[in-house]
Amino acid sequence: MDMLNLSNPRARQARLGRKIGKNGYAILLGLSVVCVVTGALLVFVKLHYGYVLIGVGLFASMPALWWRYELSKIPPTDTSLMGRLSKDLLTRLVPGTTYSPSILWEAIKTDPQALFITNHLLLHASNMQGCFSEDPNGLQPLLNSATQIADSYDSRTIEVGHITTALLQSSPVINAMLVQMKLSPADLSAVSNWLQRLIVAMHSKPQNFGGIGRDWASGFTPRLNQFGHNLSLSIEHYGAHFGTLVDSPGVKDIKTAFSQGAHALALIGPDGIGKTSHAYALAQNVLAEAQDPTLEHKQIVELDASAMISAAREPGQLEFILNGLLNEAVHAGNIMLFFDDAQLFFHTGLGSFDATQILLPAIQSRSVQLIFAMTPHDYETLRASNMAFAGLLTPVVLREKSEAEVLDIVADSATQLEGKQHLLITYPAIKAAYTLSGRYEADMAYPGKAIKLLEQSLSHADGGSIVIAQSVEEAIEQTHGIKAGTAAPAEADQLLHLEDSIHERMINQKRAVEVVANALRRARAGVSNPKRPIGSFLFLGPTGVGKTELAKAVAATYFGDESSMIRLDMSEYQQESDVSRILSDGQHESKSLILSVRQQPFSVVLLDEIEKAHPNILNLLLQMLDEGQLTDTGGRTVSFKDCVIIATSNAGADSIRQHIEQGEQLEQFETSFIDELINGGQFKPELINRFDEVVLFRPLNADELSQVVRLMLAEVNKTLSGQNISVELTDAAVARIVEVGNDPRLGARPMRRALQRAVENTVAGKILRHEANPGDHIMLDTADLSL
Amino acid sequence: MFMLDLFGWWYGSGWAGVLASTKKRLEGLAEAFSTKILLQTLFSPWRRVITYPGASIDAKLRAIGDNLVSRCVGFTVRFFVLLAAAISFVFLCVAGVVELIIWPLVPLIAIALIVKGLI
Repeated sequence: MDMLNLSNPRARQARLGRKIGKNGYAILLGLSVVCVVTGALLVFVKLHYGYVLIGVGLFASMPALWWRYELSKIPPTDTSLMGRLSKDLLTRLVPGTTYSPSILWEAIKTDPQALFITNHLLLHASNMQGCFSEDPNGLQPLLNSATQIADSYDSRTIEVGHITTALLQSSPVINAMLVQMKLSPADLSAVSNWLQRLIVAMHSKPQNFGGIGRDWASGFTPRLNQFGHNLSLSIEHYGAHFGTLVDSPGVKDIKTAFSQGAHALALIGPDGIGKTSHAYALAQNVLAEAQDPTLEHKQIVELDASAMISAAREPGQLEFILNGLLNEAVHAGNIMLFFDDAQLFFHTGLGSFDATQILLPAIQSRSVQLIFAMTPHDYETLRASNMAFAGLLTPVVLREKSEAEVLDIVADSATQLEGKQHLLITYPAIKAAYTLSGRYEADMAYPGKAIKLLEQSLSHADGGSIVIAQSVEEAIEQTHGIKAGTAAPAEADQLLHLEDSIHERMINQKRAVEVVANALRRARAGVSNPKRPIGSFLFLGPTGVGKTELAKAVAATYFGDESSMIRLDMSEYQQESDVSRILSDGQHESKSLILSVRQQPFSVVLLDEIEKAHPNILNLLLQMLDEGQLTDTGGRTVSFKDCVIIATSNAGADSIRQHIEQGEQLEQFETSFIDELINGGQFKPELINRFDEVVLFRPLNADELSQVVRLMLAEVNKTLSGQNISVELTDAAVARIVEVGNDPRLGARPMRRALQRAVENTVAGKILRHEANPGDHIMLDTADLSL
Repeated sequence: MFMLDLFGWWYGSGWAGVLASTKKRLEGLAEAFSTKILLQTLFSPWRRVITYPGASIDAKLRAIGDNLVSRCVGFTVRFFVLLAAAISFVFLCVAGVVELIIWPLVPLIAIALIVKGLI
């Protein structure tokens, strides 16, 4: 193909450079030195052949220098395609070959840049054969596309990574593979961007931060060296790697505030947003760029509160230390003090102390630049407790970044983790970390929460070395006790037959069981709205028909244990003041709904007798059902998105009974019944509408009550199994218990008492009288029952 | 082809590169020796080791004396560092010029030496 003129000098030199390589360069250089030195010695001893050796040595130095300054680099020469193809690409292409996209892929597929993209997208080379066009005419559009990609990055060279991206984008088969992995073309571009950032970082020249005499006009800082951590020197010694953050809006805002005369900043942002990283990025920015006089040659020193507190052994010594540090910073002239977790310096308590009185004169005299990092909550607390001090701070608020920006930051962090842990962190894992941390880490902000989750996922790496989306799901499942991953075959089977499992402990109420099972299946398959609870149901019906039992059955079958149920009797929440018992963050009330859900986010929340709750509490429930979250009294949100919310009510129970007694089916009067409840003022329409389903429970008939008795008997037998004794009831005995225990107003509830009296008391007597021994099977008839 | 390409580079971008690399070395030298900063702060006290003047004339005179000593120390250190930078600068300039002159002659010198050795 004409477009790839591989016999042009640049391509030829690239291949030659590869042939010579580092080893060839070393040999040529060594030969040159040896020849020149040996020749000089021979000339010194008057041997004429020495001149030949010196001449040969000089000749050998020429290709060595050529390789060193040209062949090892092959810089771009012009804007034509052949002038821009990278050295790595040119060395992999063979002259005389008619390249098609497919053959080009074969040539580059083992290049580190190509591997970077395919590995991070989990595309295996073995699966990619036949994915690209064999038609040589397909090469031109492909190279055009790669050129556009390089242009979009302002890259002078067209790298293997750009060609790989263009190849993958051009293949419908690859796109289909990406879709199967829940990825999109945008994700391919994101990985390409990730690689480009790495290429730029690797090709960037080492930065000079001022040379040996930079700090000679500044004072010594022995105490700050002891109680602080110099962020600027860390960057200078260990390398600058804060990437895009260095020129982020946050860093620009800090610089603007200082250049406008501010001396004390409150750097405000929630945990995880990167306040410390912004301080590092500011330090890198100040070191690397020419600054206005307020920042030039400034070094940022982070004070270590814990080191200061541990060093203070006598009262007043802490203040003395801090005072000394401030004076030293003022005297040094080039120090900017950074107070990370600044609230530690504003409150008295374990691990903190109130330093505002010491800091106040330093701020007022504007003698040293100070940055206080704090959360919005801490800033508000400071304003409330010490308005004079807070008023002296210039607030700089860090905003949460867009999804694309966060994913870029997480990917860059993944690069560092990969280097440290010798792992491969795939892009699906990064996306999963973003999505799942967004859903389950409400207490932190991006990008910190996604990076934290990704770090937790490293120990769940697939095969020990590849972190995939499933690793992230396993990490969040382990830390939060929730189900985040795709249902395994056994679990999927259980979900598909959930009704059967529930009916093992629930008699009838088929419609109620079905709607609940459907909601759980939708949630587990990922087709329900992820911003709302898994399911929300209002169970209406008389007492003792299985409403609470169904909630327990859901907790046991779906959430693994009956204890995965948070039960609130709403009749205890009839006062307006009871709102705090729902929302307490634990400071004033030791128990609250919020605290329970925070401890147990994957559970059934059962709100018994909901109609009795105070209207303000019902309004809170609207928010919970709508947004899947509530905010506690401390301002922290808690998610209900992994909960099944079940509210029960006896409202209209008599009406249901009457309809059933008239021979109607639930479906026939369901709508009119709910209208009755709304019109009767028992429920507000907005509350009814918030539930996924309103389910009516019908009273149980005698036959169903018999089945309930047998279920209860099974529980008794379970208890007795420890003593190796079992009990059986004749049909007549069951009928008798139903007769005694049946109360149309209370449903199956009195049945338990009846069974207790009839069976448990009888068996207890037999055991104590030694009439029942281990291994016995006791058959009870009507006459045996102590009713 | 190899020799043609080699000589093409040697008398083309290779020779031009000598000038560019000399310039780069000089810039690196200036940064490594902090020349701009040292010139700006040539007479500043050494590491801000200064005495703040007291109220009495004695104290003021002592502060002036102490600070003068600190400035002298600062000046001396900076002066010698700048001197070292200047010497290095001159050395690099001369080396660069020599390199620029010698560079095109290397192949000729090599041939001349081989011929001289053989005859």
